[in-house]
Amino acid sequence: MLYDAEATYADLEAAEVEIAILPIGAIEQHSLHLPLGTDWIGAEALARRVAERLARDRDVYLLPGWPYSLSQCHGPMPGTVWLTPRTLADVLGDTVRSLYTQGIRRVVVINGHGGNFVLDAEIRELNLRYPDLILLSAASWDTAGGARPTGRVTGGDIHAGEGETASQLYLNPQHVGSERVDYVPPVGREFLDYAYMCHISPHGVWGRPSRGTAEAGKEQLERAAEGLARAVQEAFEGIAALKGGEEA
Amino acid sequence: MTSKKVYDWQNTSWDLREHPPHLALLPVGATEQFGPHLPLSSQNLLLEAISRRVAEELSESVYLLPPIPIGSSGQHEGFAGTVSLSWRTLKAVLTDLGESLLQTGTTRLAVLVGLGGTACTTTMPRENEIVKTAVRRLNYDHEELEAIWVQPLTVADPPLDTLFDDPQDDVHAGQVVTSLMLHLHPDLVKALPESHVPPAGSGGYLHQLPFSALCPDGVWGHPHLADAERGAEALRAAVTGTVAYIEETFADLARLRNERA
Repeated sequence: MLYDAEATYADLEAAEVEIAILPIGAIEQHSLHLPLGTDWIGAEALARRVAERLARDRDVYLLPGWPYSLSQCHGPMPGTVWLTPRTLADVLGDTVRSLYTQGIRRVVVINGHGGNFVLDAEIRELNLRYPDLILLSAASWDTAGGARPTGRVTGGDIHAGEGETASQLYLNPQHVGSERVDYVPPVGREFLDYAYMCHISPHGVWGRPSRGTAEAGKEQLERAAEGLARAVQEAFEGIAALKGGEEA
Repeated sequence: MTSKKVYDWQNTSWDLREHPPHLALLPVGATEQFGPHLPLSSQNLLLEAISRRVAEELSESVYLLPPIPIGSSGQHEGFAGTVSLSWRTLKAVLTDLGESLLQTGTTRLAVLVGLGGTACTTTMPRENEIVKTAVRRLNYDHEELEAIWVQPLTVADPPLDTLFDDPQDDVHAGQVVTSLMLHLHPDLVKALPESHVPPAGSGGYLHQLPFSALCPDGVWGHPHLADAERGAEALRAAVTGTVAYIEETFADLARLRNERA
């Protein structure tokens, strides 16, 4: 069964929560046509769909989406707010430790913002510190299979582009504007480590939002949720088996 | 006539004051297990060799800093001799070094983040996302600073998958690193162990499991396929590719600045 923050503590006490799910979003500029809350709205929507699937044969606790993360790369653009990496990592660590205190040993982070690299560093340290905890990050391991790019990586659909526009057209169409600027900067993706987005792309876009459609948004969201739910189960089983082998 | 020069810790402060270098080069190393056949210092030794050559081949003057000798090796905990900084500490070290360089007039910093590898990208340094995070913060917090990061084996030119087989399996203490060590420090290389490659997909669990759970002997790859000759070629490719990456990246950043001005 799926529990969220509308449940009471007594509901959760009576349940046998096996997995907790924490969505993490961002409040940051998304070019001329998408709302500041795009990442937060998207992460919550994906997390709920993953939680619903996992809750078919176990009890799952879906936490409210954490809205703020590492958006300093959009710093000068109005409406953007950000945490420092240490603060975001502490938010994650404190949340996971609260759940751990209540006996929850399996937690999934659904990360909606690409710039939150510190999460993986914190997740590694938490997993090493608590050997009976398995803390997963959907943004890091769901892409581990299949062919991956190597060497220099350019182009892509990085921010306020086709994918995010499609997602918002499906989830939040009344807040999608019509003025869509397509722009793919002629530099590597790592340039977001070196310069503000608005200095790489004046309208804060990296991709081709004009191509996004609501139909594609629905399709990609449901496909992502299905794939993630399956990958989460496989990862918990695979990691538990490897840990068991290690202890034996 | 060029006045280009490499400065390092053997120079005086006055040398640097009279001839301010164009950029600083900071390698981030590690003291961690490299299988039964390679020393704990392997990454530091290789980074010293690569960074020295990169500094010599860059077209402008360079201040070459000593490698940070202990880095982010938490994955290898449990293996004797491995020592590691938490990510908070490593990030603080990088931030402090970047800001102290800036205070003394260095406005360009290139960080060599470990070695990288054939299966890596220029988007994310493998197992070292915190260096990426630290470089970001330095750039956002200091308008006048330009800091970049690069992994030498990742940007190798020609790419290392043209020199080695099964590059996706070369993750740790495998044929690339072993070949480089056979070329540069053959006296430090012991008997080469057999291949070890964990089950497909399990690499995605390295955020959840210690390295030893997947690779009990500390090896992921095919070290017994290594040879010194390809080590020499890999070194040349890593240096050539890293020099090109650094020069092109600073040129692109200058262009972005000019477009804004």
